[in-house]
Amino acid sequence: MNLMPSRSDLKVEAAPAAKPAIPMIEIDHVSQVFQTSSRQDHLALSDISLTIDAGAFVSILGPSGCGKSTLLYIVGGFVNPTQGTARMKGSPITGPGPDRGPVFQEFALFPWKTVLGNIMYGPRQQGVKAAEAESQGRALIEMVGLKGFEHFYPKELSGGMKQRVALARTLAYHPAVLLMDEPFGALDAHTRTRLQNDLLNIWERDRKTVLFVTHSVEEAVFLSDKVVMMSRSPGRIKQIIDIDLPRPRRRTELLLDPRYQKYVVDIERMFDDAGDDGLQP
Amino acid sequence: MTLRALIARLAPLLACLGLLAVWQIAALALNNDSFPTALESIRAIPAILDDKEALINILASLRRMAIGFGTAVLVSIPLGLLMGRSRGVASFFNPLLMVIYPVPKAALMPIIMLWLGIGDLSKTLVIFLGVSLPVIYHSFEGAKAVEEKMLWSGAAMGLSAVERLTRIVLPAALPEILTGCRTGLVLALITMVTSEMIARQSGAGNILFNALDMGQYDTVFAMIIIIGAMGICLDAAFERMRQRLVRWSEPQFDIPLSFS
Repeated sequence: MNLMPSRSDLKVEAAPAAKPAIPMIEIDHVSQVFQTSSRQDHLALSDISLTIDAGAFVSILGPSGCGKSTLLYIVGGFVNPTQGTARMKGSPITGPGPDRGPVFQEFALFPWKTVLGNIMYGPRQQGVKAAEAESQGRALIEMVGLKGFEHFYPKELSGGMKQRVALARTLAYHPAVLLMDEPFGALDAHTRTRLQNDLLNIWERDRKTVLFVTHSVEEAVFLSDKVVMMSRSPGRIKQIIDIDLPRPRRRTELLLDPRYQKYVVDIERMFDDAGDDGLQP
Repeated sequence: MTLRALIARLAPLLACLGLLAVWQIAALALNNDSFPTALESIRAIPAILDDKEALINILASLRRMAIGFGTAVLVSIPLGLLMGRSRGVASFFNPLLMVIYPVPKAALMPIIMLWLGIGDLSKTLVIFLGVSLPVIYHSFEGAKAVEEKMLWSGAAMGLSAVERLTRIVLPAALPEILTGCRTGLVLALITMVTSEMIARQSGAGNILFNALDMGQYDTVFAMIIIIGAMGICLDAAFERMRQRLVRWSEPQFDIPLSFS
């Protein structure tokens, strides 16, 4: 299924001449095969092609088991695709790197480091001086609303706070792309909405490229410029929906906006067809 | 300080006094020459500690123990961590370790003495072997349990494989590693004494077993008290260091429960 022929044609024509034509991320006919525990090949992703422009907020939405996280891991360079290539600014992705910063559902904070220590870790690794890393770290802590918690250990924080730290830790080393793997999936509904709002506020300041994996339709529509709807068994792109809603987005306004409601309902219907019945192998 | 907190604080002291009391009563009841009372044994301690030669013996023991323990920890932690992160390394070393693990290290002493003599080297090697296995095992388990996504986060920050091992796996596994080291410390003391039982020449074990041969039972039990006290002190010192190093992993609050 070739969903975006015009875009890839454009790239071929314009790439040598004009820089802006090179997309931030290109996923080019990527397939991923896993071996199951019973030694059978399982096709997790089947021939995925997707282009993500610089500064776009793109959500990958789909039922569990559709390979949406795997796709994110391939862009992160954590997993090598069985077939096809992923490219970042035109060059093939061969491994993880600080230009692509992950934020995981599991937070994955360094438990032996304080909040500040976690956030300073990346910049320090890249040779930023301690004093500078600290002042930047403190600014980030303030930005994610954790002022006063600088010297707390992850163990002492709630789930929402941990995810704020994880976001700040990734932002601290200035990745060009944020890779968010169901980042709010482990949080309660209230905390989740608050973090969505805060993420949008932060994003609207510097408009980083974001690839956001979620299984929540509302979350995807609320946050994204573009929603990539996936279906499973095997994981395929079902449809790409442009979310044409004005920014900055206010949650309370959007909830009343019929356009928002239509997006949610339309995508939810698609979701029902995407195989989330839990019955398929 | 509440009464409850006071009792909690004094509990170790009370336990020691209780043990001595039971010992005293049992010895009086049995009235056996080879079982001196607690008081008789305690009275024999100053004589040992005043004797310069005995002190040199005990210090020699401690020195061997420190060297054996230290080298074992230095070798075992990296090996355990590598095993925990690499399936190849693990499947190579696991069978070897499983063969060595159940063998009492002191039982190897006679063979090692044949190779290396009855000097320091043999005894230190036995201590080394005794300490290594629990430290390797716990480092291995600790490294295996490190959350995968933590390593991914490190990789995204640009940490190389070696840096991920030393700067993520090592600190993340530290609580588990230190549990292994604590077991190793106790085993170091045990193998120290047993190695000196087999290769008499010097050391705390030498004093103990010579006294046993000569029927000086108060000295025997005094040495048992001294070795026991050394164990308690070493363990307490280690525990203090451990708590300082892994404060981040300890539970933060003691919620006062309404039941217990």
